[in-house]
Amino acid sequence: MTPTGTIQTTKPLKRLAVHATTTCAEQASAYGKCILATYTDVRRDICKEEFDKFGRCLHEAMKRKW
Amino acid sequence: MNVITSRSLTKTHLLRTQTRRYATISSSGPSPSLTTHTLGPFQVFDRETKRKQRDRAAYKNGGASSRTVDYVRDEIADRMMERLEDIKRKFSTIVDLGSCSGHFAKLLDPSTTRKCIMIDSSHGALHRDPDSEFEVEVKRIHADEENLLQVINPNTQEAIVSCLSLHWVNDLPGILIQIKEALQPDGLFLGAMFGGETLFELRTALQLAEVEREGGISPHVSPMTDTRDVSNLLGRAGFTLLTVDIDEVKVNYPSMWELMDDLRDMGESNAVLGRRHIIHRDTLAAASAIYKELHGNEDGTIPATFQVIFMIGWKPAPTQPKPLERGSGKTNLKDVL
Repeated sequence: MTPTGTIQTTKPLKRLAVHATTTCAEQASAYGKCILATYTDVRRDICKEEFDKFGRCLHEAMKRKW
Repeated sequence: MNVITSRSLTKTHLLRTQTRRYATISSSGPSPSLTTHTLGPFQVFDRETKRKQRDRAAYKNGGASSRTVDYVRDEIADRMMERLEDIKRKFSTIVDLGSCSGHFAKLLDPSTTRKCIMIDSSHGALHRDPDSEFEVEVKRIHADEENLLQVINPNTQEAIVSCLSLHWVNDLPGILIQIKEALQPDGLFLGAMFGGETLFELRTALQLAEVEREGGISPHVSPMTDTRDVSNLLGRAGFTLLTVDIDEVKVNYPSMWELMDDLRDMGESNAVLGRRHIIHRDTLAAASAIYKELHGNEDGTIPATFQVIFMIGWKPAPTQPKPLERGSGKTNLKDVL
């Protein structure tokens, strides 16, 4: 895995990809586990709390809102 | 039809009923030709968009990107070639319908095949690789795979093959009938197409993410033919002596993002009519997390399944072996077994 500090890529989607899988891997995993626990009955915002943490981490890593 | 380009519009459009859109013709690009072979009810895919996606993929970085992602097609072409080798027959010409850059044609052996006619709707893919990479003589025809009979005369071909192209054809029953028509009596059809289990991990991850984040779903992975339907379709098109079997190729990727990049470079991006043209970033990030937790391997990678349906059918001819009449057997199976 590439350490965050050395990422030179400029494409926003590429950066999002990197942050979603490395920088914020922990929050991503928590969100994924929440969905996994409820995936037979998923409704809108059922894992909102977990996603908010994941999203906040992504926003900070991306250094902007999108 | 609305083409959603602005992100702020997404949420309002999300809950629109999708049912009616399937029957409409996309506004992007010229409308698909409505010939006798492609009638309205069979319109599922946006062929013009598909052609553009495949051209773009083939031309990207002078073809280098496209060559990097040849692994799925090369593997399937190889498995299809095993099936052709089982047929003890020499061919002076084989038509490769939807040949792409010739993954299958490159494997043809000059001792059994003299010439291959490659037909593809993407000019970029068709001309990506030079003739020197083929062992047999090749002829390239740039034409829409959906209208085979416009470039090939009926009752002229010894063999028609199709490797991983039919999953983008709108009218599958129609193209099978065209293939049968183009064949000589006792002509061979050998095909491989993606089956319904293909990319089920990506499909489910995106669906769960869309439901949880946005409250609705839209098609991101094509509807694909079920294995059970294929033998019915072949029978309905008039082929005999059918052989249908399925196989799977599983590929591991570091994450969903690499999978999506590779699919785009393969020219296999979404081209369902009435698709949403963007995916919200929140949804993408959510899908990536869900993919990993729901389907991920223990080593942290994620698998992607490519299910392939192989099919063999023959155009009927009086010389072909036929089953005997029911009840005409004289040997008791008990004595044999």
